[in-house]
Amino acid sequence: MRRLLYDARVALESPSRTPRMAVVVGRLLGIAFLLCFGTGLYSHFIQHPADGMFFPNQPYWIYQLNQGIHVTTGIVCIPLILAKLWTVYPNLFGYPAIKDKLAILERGSIAIFIGASIVQLVIGLLNTYQSLVAPFYFLQVHYGLSFVIIGSLAIHIAVKLPIISRYWRKPADGHDGELEAYESLPVTEPAPTAFQGITGRVMSYIDGAPTAPSKVSRRGFLGALGATSAAAVVLTVGQTFEPLAATNAFGPREKGTGPQGVPINRTSKQAKVTDSAMDPNWALAVRNGDQEVSVSRADLAAMQQYDVQLPIACVEGWSQMASWRGVRLSELMAAVGITAANSVRIQSLEEKGAYRETTMDANFVQDPTTLVALQLNGEDLDLEHGYPARIIAPGRPGVLQTKWLATLEVI
Amino acid sequence: MQSSSIVGARAVLIIGGILLMLVGAYQLVTTQRIDQLFGLALWMLGAIVLHDGILSPIVLFANVLLKRSGRRMPWSVLVVIQIAVVVGSVLTLIVVPEIAGQLRGPANPTILTGDYGLRLAVMWGVLLVIAAIISAVLVRRGKRPADELVKPAAV
Repeated sequence: MRRLLYDARVALESPSRTPRMAVVVGRLLGIAFLLCFGTGLYSHFIQHPADGMFFPNQPYWIYQLNQGIHVTTGIVCIPLILAKLWTVYPNLFGYPAIKDKLAILERGSIAIFIGASIVQLVIGLLNTYQSLVAPFYFLQVHYGLSFVIIGSLAIHIAVKLPIISRYWRKPADGHDGELEAYESLPVTEPAPTAFQGITGRVMSYIDGAPTAPSKVSRRGFLGALGATSAAAVVLTVGQTFEPLAATNAFGPREKGTGPQGVPINRTSKQAKVTDSAMDPNWALAVRNGDQEVSVSRADLAAMQQYDVQLPIACVEGWSQMASWRGVRLSELMAAVGITAANSVRIQSLEEKGAYRETTMDANFVQDPTTLVALQLNGEDLDLEHGYPARIIAPGRPGVLQTKWLATLEVI
Repeated sequence: MQSSSIVGARAVLIIGGILLMLVGAYQLVTTQRIDQLFGLALWMLGAIVLHDGILSPIVLFANVLLKRSGRRMPWSVLVVIQIAVVVGSVLTLIVVPEIAGQLRGPANPTILTGDYGLRLAVMWGVLLVIAAIISAVLVRRGKRPADELVKPAAV
């Protein structure tokens, strides 16, 4: 067994599999994970705010940027984590498998870290196009796993701290730690001689392959990582980043698609509002305590109309700029005596669904670009975009841009 | 780094890490049923097995195969081919689930709108062309003695 593990490690030896390279790639992956974690928390808390939290309403693109970074960085994490695992793969065959107590903590935390990270990236990617079929709830698991991952990452860094600090900079002698990686190999280990059996044939086949000079191997490795990451970004980021819309070959969403040139997330059919939204007697209930006014679509259209340019920025990472026309939310709410400090509870005609009701903080309510929109890109709102009226506000995720409005209530 | 500061930093990282993991674990056990937690554990285990047991050996043997069949090429050309294969393979890994999602039928017509199979084929074609051009340039320049040929390995 010991011999087999030794052979496996020898076969896997490569000039790119050094502690220095593990530190270089690990740093990048660590930054990427923290970016995903930070942007993920922003997105989580803007949807489920804790008491006293404040979210800026401007710049209007703040959520678009946040979520673009979250999803694009998540995609880049795929080549990064594959590269990181590649550099340390021989460690899997270390002998003895468990050296001491610290090693138990190390192996255990690494197993959780790797398992959770891969699952996190896979379910995140699949969820960007709503294709995830998993035996658990995506949202809560994606959120919960993020803490598990960052926690186990901290433990992993703690365990590897001496190696990380040693190889943080390129050692002056240019020695990347090729030998240290295998320092646990006993010197007295029998030299590989004639191989026998199937294992032997496989091993000699592998040994028959030439080994690249160190420099070439390292450059090739970093080149592959860089090229893959760059390609992954350039070929997907156009789903949110307009200047690269033309190179968006693999993003699950494309700019300008869907009714009125804007993609949709939740359809009227899924929301079960096809009847209620088309009801000719529809009226928006605007409430403040006991005071309530009922506003028809004609009433809304008779008020002062404003034009704004704002994006729909989805939690799934795509975004679409659009022209909206409608009534200022602050002016509409003034009819029931709203003050500058009040928030507004927004309800949709939708009867079920996590986002049928949302709360909008005062700074968003008072923003002059926050509208109860009646028109999109020069036409009356399509049913799929929230006819008869919807909310459009700066800096908020698409799921909070409530469609098929039913009531607005001062709180 | 001083060993005492390493000890201090380690303590902070380990305590902080354990606390964060507890927050995550609490979030998971309070929102998922037992069978869902079991499902998640199975997925995590499956992810490790899939990577360590299947993906990595495939990569290892693909690499060996490439090196053995390219033993008469200059290293620089071999590396260009390796990079092209890695870029293509990882992107294929990312795009194939999109094609599968498309076949199953997207949740609405504005999701997965592209012809991803065709685009994937075009991407491989482009990679091939780029790799060929760079290789040709390298081979031309590589007539210099500095660019050593891959030596057949002694078995």
